[in-house]
Amino acid sequence: MIDAYRRFMNIEAPPAPQRPKGFFTDTSLCIGCKACEVACKQWNQLPADGNELSGNSYDNTGALGATTWRHVQFVEQAKANNSRVGQRWLMMSDVCKHCANAACLEACPTGALVRTEFGSVYVQQDICNGCGYCVPACPFGVIDRAPKDGHFEAGRAHKCTLCYDRQKDGLEPACAKACPTDSIQFGDIEELQAKARRRLADLRARGETSARLYGMPESTEAAEVGHLNAFFLLLDRPEVYNLPEVPRLPRKTMAQRYAISAVVGLAFAALSAVAFGRRSG
Amino acid sequence: MEMNGYTVRDGKQVADFAALKDDGSTACGVWIYSGVFPGEGQNMARRRNKGDGWISPEWGFAWPGNRRMLYNRASADPQGRPWSERKKYVWWDAAQHKWTGYDRPDFPDTKAPDTPGQEEGVGVDAHSGSDPFTLKADGRAWLFAPSGLKDGPLPTHYEPLESPVKNPVYRRQDSPIAKRFSRKDNPISAPGDPRFPYLATTYRVTEQYTSGSMSRWSSWLSELMPEMFAEISPELAAEKGIKNRDWIVVSSARGEIECRALVTRRLRPFQLNGALIHEIGLPYHWGYKGLVKGAMANDLVPLSEEPNVYIQEDKAFTCNIRKGRL
Repeated sequence: MIDAYRRFMNIEAPPAPQRPKGFFTDTSLCIGCKACEVACKQWNQLPADGNELSGNSYDNTGALGATTWRHVQFVEQAKANNSRVGQRWLMMSDVCKHCANAACLEACPTGALVRTEFGSVYVQQDICNGCGYCVPACPFGVIDRAPKDGHFEAGRAHKCTLCYDRQKDGLEPACAKACPTDSIQFGDIEELQAKARRRLADLRARGETSARLYGMPESTEAAEVGHLNAFFLLLDRPEVYNLPEVPRLPRKTMAQRYAISAVVGLAFAALSAVAFGRRSG
Repeated sequence: MEMNGYTVRDGKQVADFAALKDDGSTACGVWIYSGVFPGEGQNMARRRNKGDGWISPEWGFAWPGNRRMLYNRASADPQGRPWSERKKYVWWDAAQHKWTGYDRPDFPDTKAPDTPGQEEGVGVDAHSGSDPFTLKADGRAWLFAPSGLKDGPLPTHYEPLESPVKNPVYRRQDSPIAKRFSRKDNPISAPGDPRFPYLATTYRVTEQYTSGSMSRWSSWLSELMPEMFAEISPELAAEKGIKNRDWIVVSSARGEIECRALVTRRLRPFQLNGALIHEIGLPYHWGYKGLVKGAMANDLVPLSEEPNVYIQEDKAFTCNIRKGRL
């Protein structure tokens, strides 16, 4: 019966899950060329966001958004303000983390956000109704809606697809393909994690003692969102790169928030009852 | 196939550049890649046989002729024996009367080490069997170029035509044979000219391509580097009351431009002869047309050329800046 219905409605069986794939972004290799940003925009045909000099080092695109799915951060760092001691220029190509427990996916009421057979989190543009619940849910501020008056898929939510279309054809995502230094590596997530551990040990042995991995299954940031299918090797604390120390899953605090709302609501009700009681009395 | 080379009559690929002729019977796009596609369906660059030794001659392709090290005959002594057993690389096999080794010898295959050079010989025939540097006229290694250069033969230091300091090495300030264009609109300011106390240098950013006239029409590149700017140190910015993103005017003896200031510690003032000399960094990709426009750093640079290949000297000159617009 269900099979007949599926055939009649032309509903395909979902593709069989494969070994999860993802990105390992090694910031120690990033040279800030932004080839990933351009390759991403070209493959996905995303429009430019405007031509304004930000004054913030060499970063003129600012942040991830509906039409910027890879974004290279530039951090000009020194041990103290107005000093050149320990000066360095950190670069990091940021992207959707494709979390194991994705907050955007949990918040989506329409089922537009799905987990693909490659383990990535994907927005189905024909189902998204632009409610925007996913936007504040994301602890990294990745997913965003395209402006309603814009000419790109107006109003709907957008983010990195981990090049779902390219993966379907057995190709690596455009950013990883374009990266000239292999700072962005694409592959089987478990293999990448093993590779990252080796790279970290190697860097530490060479004296990069503040190097760390971000988004591994065992690390603190995995407490709520789980491991990240796009994880990073950082040369400093996550805050330096605009990443939360512990990304939070809104679901975890939902009961508490409902309770607070209920208490506040009751308090207002009591207050107005007192006020009305006085006036009418 | 055009790069590999082929015989014109039947369009067959040649095995390598040794098969190329100068009589028009073969054609080849670039001789150093000759041999990379030696036959139908064969791509030497795709080979992945690691092999036993450390040379891996069957891994990929190295030009020319799949040689991993140029002039490798120099790894053997004049008699064709390896200089050291540990570093042996190619050598003369007297029994088979040919050069052999781990790599493909970069030398005529059967030219014995004791072959004398031919006085009237053409090309490598003029070299003896102990002259490894086959592309040099005399077949020998050169520590410096004894002829052909207009300056030299050994490197030295001259200041740029415009410099804030006197040459600390010689009394001669700058290159005596630089090409200069002495015109009214191309003045050069003297060392220590108080009108132009700062150093300037020009460079590219990776997002725009050379002059920018091609890349400025791509919206994806334009948004990444949208406007002309000048990089200055926080020290100079404080001295001049300039804040990040302020408009500034950069001037030299030739002209002046306006652009935004990008204040960054990456620019470090120089300590030269006890004086603090500031440097200003100028990318040069903008112009008056394109999706993004901006002033041209080339309006400031002196017109002068290096004497051998006439490269313009625009990496160092002197300038001044002020807050404001033109």
